Amino acid sequence: MKKFLSVLLLVTMTASLLAACGSSNSDSNTAGSTDQGGSSKKKVVAWAWDPSFNGAALKIAEELYQKEHPDFELEVVDMAKADLEQKLNANLAAGVKDGLPDIILVNDPNIQKYVTAYPNTFADFTDKIDFTQFSPYKVDALRIGDKIYGVPFDIGVTGMFYRSDYLEQAGYTAKDLENITWDQYIEIGKVVKEKTGKYMTTINPNDEALTSILLQSAGSWYITPENKGNFVNNPVMAETLRVYKAISDSGIAKPVTGWSEFVGSFNAGDVATVVSGVWQVPSIMDAKDQSGKWRVAPIPRLNIKGGVNASNEGGSSWFVLNGSKNKDLAIDFLAKTIGGSSEFYERFLKEKGGVGSYIPAFSSDAYGQQSEFFGGQAIYRDFTKWSTEVPGISLGMYTQEAKDALKNELPNILQGADLTQSLANIQKLFEQQVQ
Amino acid sequence: MERKWNKSSLMGWQFVALPSALILLFSFYPMFQSLLLSFQSGKGTVYHYVGIDNYIRLFSDPMFKQAVFNTLLYLIVQVPIMLLLGLVIAHLLNNPKLRFKGFYRTAIFLPCVTSLVSYAVLFKSIFAVDGILNKMLLSMHVIQEPIAWLMDPIWARVVIIAAITWRWTGYNMIFYLSAMQNIDPSIYEAASIDGASKTRQFFSITVPMLKPIILFTAIISTNGTLQLFDEVVNITKGGPGNATMTISQYIYNLSFVYTPNFGYAATVSYAIVVMVAVLALFQLKLGGEKR
Repeated sequence: MKKFLSVLLLVTMTASLLAACGSSNSDSNTAGSTDQGGSSKKKVVAWAWDPSFNGAALKIAEELYQKEHPDFELEVVDMAKADLEQKLNANLAAGVKDGLPDIILVNDPNIQKYVTAYPNTFADFTDKIDFTQFSPYKVDALRIGDKIYGVPFDIGVTGMFYRSDYLEQAGYTAKDLENITWDQYIEIGKVVKEKTGKYMTTINPNDEALTSILLQSAGSWYITPENKGNFVNNPVMAETLRVYKAISDSGIAKPVTGWSEFVGSFNAGDVATVVSGVWQVPSIMDAKDQSGKWRVAPIPRLNIKGGVNASNEGGSSWFVLNGSKNKDLAIDFLAKTIGGSSEFYERFLKEKGGVGSYIPAFSSDAYGQQSEFFGGQAIYRDFTKWSTEVPGISLGMYTQEAKDALKNELPNILQGADLTQSLANIQKLFEQQVQ
Repeated sequence: MERKWNKSSLMGWQFVALPSALILLFSFYPMFQSLLLSFQSGKGTVYHYVGIDNYIRLFSDPMFKQAVFNTLLYLIVQVPIMLLLGLVIAHLLNNPKLRFKGFYRTAIFLPCVTSLVSYAVLFKSIFAVDGILNKMLLSMHVIQEPIAWLMDPIWARVVIIAAITWRWTGYNMIFYLSAMQNIDPSIYEAASIDGASKTRQFFSITVPMLKPIILFTAIISTNGTLQLFDEVVNITKGGPGNATMTISQYIYNLSFVYTPNFGYAATVSYAIVVMVAVLALFQLKLGGEKR
């Protein structure tokens, strides 16, 4: 037994070592090719962080744009999201514009931070695109002062993915999952745990995804639009943390410590539901053997005034740098494709499963397609319907600081500390952090 | 005679000039600039001088205090364990009668050549909730329920300490080993004729003879621990809460994760500089020659 275990240990270690080496290699390869811009053709360089998603979207846009501009060429440089953000920050802070691309992908919570910290760095899109064609909450995130920076791209409208087989076994039908509150969700979870032995969901105290979803579902956020802490005297925050603690206490959530464990939990069939953004669809569909077993319902709601069964998790937008040599070309390229082409969004959805916020595309056939994996449900039609219900919020500038302040106190809250006192502590810590 | 001395002196200065200029340009100049930066505050490229406000903020910043506490905890717990372990292993491997010496030495030194990120990822997967360690302990019936190592503040720190100890013990061991081989065997011979036990020999001969090396490793380990970054970021991301966050990670967060405030980040870096200097001075006083 001992020998077996040591062999096993060795094999696992070697395997993960190789895996780690492999991924770091691919990172360094892609990062090297940034400086090769400026050839004779009209070439635009873009930075993105997922070659099979946002990188691929640019490739689709390039094909569409090339129909009318045959000499147009786009180079997409892929790098890890954290690397991209660090590179951008370091370059802008140093005032070096040489290594930077023309187009860059920005995670929505970072928008206000970048625009404020690096004034006049990003191109103004206010009258380049018809923003009334996009979901209002998405445009709200891009508006700073009276200007709109960037092109809205993918959205993270949330849904509750669930395993219909587990819930059926526990005695629930699709109807029972419509328009429920989080307390009802927890009750269902207890029954599921008892009847099937499966967890209802996962929990990771080190990840703010769930709290973010809960807050936005009732139109609130960690910070106020004036960039002040939004922890005290905020009923949505108090209710969010009460629900969070209730989920943690109820024993229906499997503890996970990282993203791969989180994805692993539903791919391995350990959990009955996943509350996540629409971009989670490809990861769920990775488990081919679970085809036909999944469905999507609206997320549960907070049982307070303003709470709805829809929210958002993540999403990103395209920015153009003011200092770029091909600024006008880059703006035109984005405006004619991602900023105003139904065809782009149809292809993006069909080929990559990406959902945008371009309203005219929602009525197309692509969005009405039924998914076999989800038992014939027209999931994208549902997601886009929910996306119009998502409360608009201002993400502000200090989201990350506020999240970290919350994380600092979360263990105490979960251990049953007085919530009012804890929230006051968080508020104090946050104000300390932001000055 | 005097002329000749001057000429060789000139020659010497020529050799020294280029490296000195480079150090001045690439090391001291940025240090000076960051000192200036530490008196400024703002967002990104929007800056203004704030005098010593950043330093005042530093002393009332709970996040910074937490980071200092965590870092010092690693320092106080991990460095002595690692140095002692390195010393003991070096002593064992220095035994001339030991067989397969080369194999053991390589095996213990090997962790040092692994990349910081890859071994951190390795530790993360070993200590995952359904990681191999939990599976082993469960199958051996040591525990009934899997332990969420990285979600408990105490265990998470233990994992970090275990990881850095694994990674750096061999590195220190090599220093001790090479120093031990320079100790004249006749000293040990004389000691054993006088009737000194092996333990006595270790503490009364080996350790005092190694004193300069022990001092050296203590200083570089202290320095390394104060700058700890890769392991924490990759294993726990500073969590749970901020229970494992180090000072370096806080600097990183201030510059790249939060709304960038490079001025305050520079202030925190200078806090590390001061701490390293003070600790090194302290260690020199404690372990150095008494003159």
